[in-house]
Amino acid sequence: MRPFTLNYARPRVLPAVVTPYRYDSSMQLNVLPDGRPAVSDRELLLAAGTTTSTAGSQTHFDD
Amino acid sequence: MTVLILTSEQDVTADMVVAELHLRSVPVMRLDPADVPGKAVLSADYAHGDFDGHLSVNGHVLSMGGLRSVWVRRPGEPAAHASDSSSWLTAETRQALYGMLYSAPTRWMNHPRNADQARYKPWQLRIAHLSGFAVPPTVITTAPRVAQQFAEEYRDVVVKSASGPPPGDPASALPTTLIGPGADFSTVAAGPALLQRYVPKSADIRLTCVGPRLFGARKRSAPGQVDGRYGDTGYAWGTTAVPDRIAKSVQEYLALSGLAYAAFDFAEDEDGLWWFLECNQAGQFGFVELETGQPIAEAVALWLAGRTGERRVPESRG
Ligand SMILES: Nc1ncnc2c1ncn2[C@@H]1O[C@H](COP(=O)(O)OP(=O)(O)O)[C@@H](O)[C@H]1O
Ligand SMILES: [Mg+2]
Repeated sequence: MRPFTLNYARPRVLPAVVTPYRYDSSMQLNVLPDGRPAVSDRELLLAAGTTTSTAGSQTHFDD
Repeated sequence: MTVLILTSEQDVTADMVVAELHLRSVPVMRLDPADVPGKAVLSADYAHGDFDGHLSVNGHVLSMGGLRSVWVRRPGEPAAHASDSSSWLTAETRQALYGMLYSAPTRWMNHPRNADQARYKPWQLRIAHLSGFAVPPTVITTAPRVAQQFAEEYRDVVVKSASGPPPGDPASALPTTLIGPGADFSTVAAGPALLQRYVPKSADIRLTCVGPRLFGARKRSAPGQVDGRYGDTGYAWGTTAVPDRIAKSVQEYLALSGLAYAAFDFAEDEDGLWWFLECNQAGQFGFVELETGQPIAEAVALWLAGRTGERRVPESRG
């Protein structure tokens, strides 16, 4: 029997593709392909999975 | 003295805080517990009645004597990236890493013991009562008859999950949803259902607490809207003042729960009353900072660096 709460599950709209970024282990920060820090890209911050509230609860233990 | 941030490498919200620490020349080590053992190396020794421990990753080193504070942000499971990962290896690595960190005198945002407790939504509701918040009537039950009676008594009732959506299924979401009339409650017997009276709301409130600093944010709701995170209403998050009564209850809640960081969700009703919905012990703040301009990452960095004011003051600008 499917638990009651799961009757209210809905398909998730997956976030749009964002600028690729990579971790710079010496700075301990992520950087964009042109070398600028990822935090300087507002669009990326808003879209990246770890920043918006819904994506947070999707991928992590806490909203 | 070094700040230790436990999080994954791709966590760009942590980057916001690392950047603030760099600005202030505060030494920092960023470590994902998933990288132990492997990329990250640890040793702790307990000899001659004394203790010391060391962590190193990517050429950065940290000794437990020089540990200033720990921020538990979005850490991976210990040993998750190990070539022979297993639940046993995770348990062993958790012992080694957290056992070492617990041996060091340091400040935590948040201590895992308090974090584990604080994740329980039913417990949150009780602590919210004790702290003086208004809490919508709520039931969590595996008895269909109890669920049915609750829905009949309160009429407009929402269902939400206690732990979040099923973790194995990234394509599915579990938003808080209004239960329509005539719902069949028989399957409540198959899993606990968390039902709550719907708060007819004018706005969602997100209150981010960093030590003593409070950052209030408000987003208007569309009429009849339930989960503020779904459906684009065109409204954005803006800064809002924190009522004194709320600030007092927050102080109480943080004292009872032992949290240094917390992100509260409230529903603001038509009379302007804030109804407690939940308290996320590691709740996201990047979206609030970006939309409101509130300096939350800076506040986290200052707390971790130990340069925080002791006064608990609501931050209400504009
Ligand atoms: N009782 C309620 N009345 C009205 N809206 C609610 C109620 N409970 C939750 N919501 C809405 O749903 C959102 C998510 O619910 P919440 O309790 O914060 O759980 P979670 O974020 O863990 O899914 C809230 O931010 C709010 O917008
Ligand atoms: Mg929430």
